Amino acid sequence: MQPVIETQELCKVYGQRRAVDGVELHVPEGCVYGFIGPNGAGKSTTMKMLLGLVHPTAGRVCLLGQPMTERNRLALLRQTGSLIESPSGYPHLTGEENLQVVADLKGVPRKDIDRVLEIVDLAGDRRRKVGQYSLGMRQRLGIAMALLGSPRLLILDEPTNGLDPAGIQEMRDLLVHMPERTGATVFVSSHLLGEMEQMAEQVGIIDHGKMLFEGPLQALQRHSRGNYRLRVLQPQKAVPALQARGVPARLEKGALTLPPLPDAALAAAVQAVADAGAGVVELTAHTKSLEEIFLSLTQTREVK
Amino acid sequence: MFLRCFRAENRKLHASPIWILFFLLPVISAVYGTFNYLQNLGILQDQWYSLWTQHTLFYALFFYPVLVGVYAAYLWRLEHRGHNWNLILAAPVRPLALFLAKYVVVLKLVLLTQLLVFGLYVLCGKAFAHLPGWPPVQTLLFLLRGLVGGQCVIALQLLLSMLIRSFAVPVFLGLAGGVAGMLCASKGIGLAFPYALMQVGMNANKSEDLLAGQYGGFLLASALWLALFLALAHLLLTRRDVRA
Ligand SMILES: Nc1ncnc2c1ncn2[C@@H]1O[C@H](COP(=O)(O)OP(=O)(O)OP(=O)(O)O)[C@@H](O)[C@H]1O
Ligand SMILES: [Mg+2]
Repeated sequence: MQPVIETQELCKVYGQRRAVDGVELHVPEGCVYGFIGPNGAGKSTTMKMLLGLVHPTAGRVCLLGQPMTERNRLALLRQTGSLIESPSGYPHLTGEENLQVVADLKGVPRKDIDRVLEIVDLAGDRRRKVGQYSLGMRQRLGIAMALLGSPRLLILDEPTNGLDPAGIQEMRDLLVHMPERTGATVFVSSHLLGEMEQMAEQVGIIDHGKMLFEGPLQALQRHSRGNYRLRVLQPQKAVPALQARGVPARLEKGALTLPPLPDAALAAAVQAVADAGAGVVELTAHTKSLEEIFLSLTQTREVK
Repeated sequence: MFLRCFRAENRKLHASPIWILFFLLPVISAVYGTFNYLQNLGILQDQWYSLWTQHTLFYALFFYPVLVGVYAAYLWRLEHRGHNWNLILAAPVRPLALFLAKYVVVLKLVLLTQLLVFGLYVLCGKAFAHLPGWPPVQTLLFLLRGLVGGQCVIALQLLLSMLIRSFAVPVFLGLAGGVAGMLCASKGIGLAFPYALMQVGMNANKSEDLLAGQYGGFLLASALWLALFLALAHLLLTRRDVRA
């Protein structure tokens, strides 16, 4: 299947800084794709290049199967909805008037406004001034603007930025159902892996302008599996039992640290420790933070 | 495409505070002009023409560039704030159409302002200066010429406010431009400077016609300045990266 977004060797250099450095994206149609990276990684810059807001120093962008050029840029934008460095909008106008401004610019009939207000659940606040909206409402208004005209592709830059946990959950529910509800492919950025775990099927990870990983979320989760901490009453009995099974264990602060193991192997190891009479008290899984995953991704990459 | 942008631009003016200024400045300039006229009846003997110069001298010199500067700065401030640059430039419209829409919106406002200025001129002439009859038709022509020359100022102020994120700096530049325009006009090189085109068009400082026999040059200069500013706007909007 033709990817909805494809980039080749996409670069953007600001002075000496390579903000985006050889990024290759492949976003399949009909999915939610999470574009993840810490602050300053180059997410917004990449998204702006996809929309032609920033001119790439080098590389190519293909949207919806066509290489983007000056000539077909408007045609491609017509099928794309975006929210970059949110929230935007005109605070002195009402929510509805804001949507009318965007509908006019996109050449979309007015009645589409009712549809998008319904989707983002702002129909009740349509006559209020956007200046009085909460941050979460402004973010949802931004999504509504992007949804006008039923685009095939949505490019959303950190739509959960600044929201409280409830707001984040709402946004997540909104986005995860977007492909089935509107048929759009969703390309959404975040600096939190955890946020993406519950909505993205595909993920791309970027740091210092370089792609570290791209693929299905499950493949990434293999990288994110961290060490286990096993607390026992008598560590001196546990260590030989583990070594006998070939599981390297370290004793740290009164507990054993085990490396990432497949579930079956882990169960067997714990069984062996219990059989040795060490007295199993607690087993905790440690999931890696995004930074640690970055580290492990960078290291595996250098080994390759 | 242009009409879509124009409609969007018009909508942004709803409930906007610039309407206060729209009424305030012409009224100040009319009060000041009438007062000046009545104080100097000894020298100002051309009746309606004299009142016209008093009404429009300060309007063309100070108030017009400031007013246009504020209109332009306000329209761009709407985009500078928040991240609206991303919003408008990711819309499927040509960037020049966005600029042209703002230009026409300001032109519309200025047309209304000019009519207000004329209305106040007639009102003051009858009510306070007790002038006989009605103002000469020529003053209407001056008004129209002011618009033709003044539209260069609109394009220039829009360009300045697009580039300069501050609200006050472009307005101040407009004020300085107005003063510089007066100097140019008095040296007879008014056609070479956009701010002066407005002043000679309005016939703001003399009772005799400043443009007699120069219409061709005046129209050409106005058109050339406009073309230059539009070309610059197009280049800047398409070649530069968006900084929201
Ligand atoms: N206009 C610019 N001029 C110079 N440097 C820039 C410009 N825009 C971005 N950068 C730099 O490029 C890098 C990437 O910035 P970008 O905004 O794309 O990061 P990001 O991943 O979106 O970060 P965040 O999570 O903070 O939004 C940063 O180091 C930033 O300082
Ligand atoms: Mg960003």
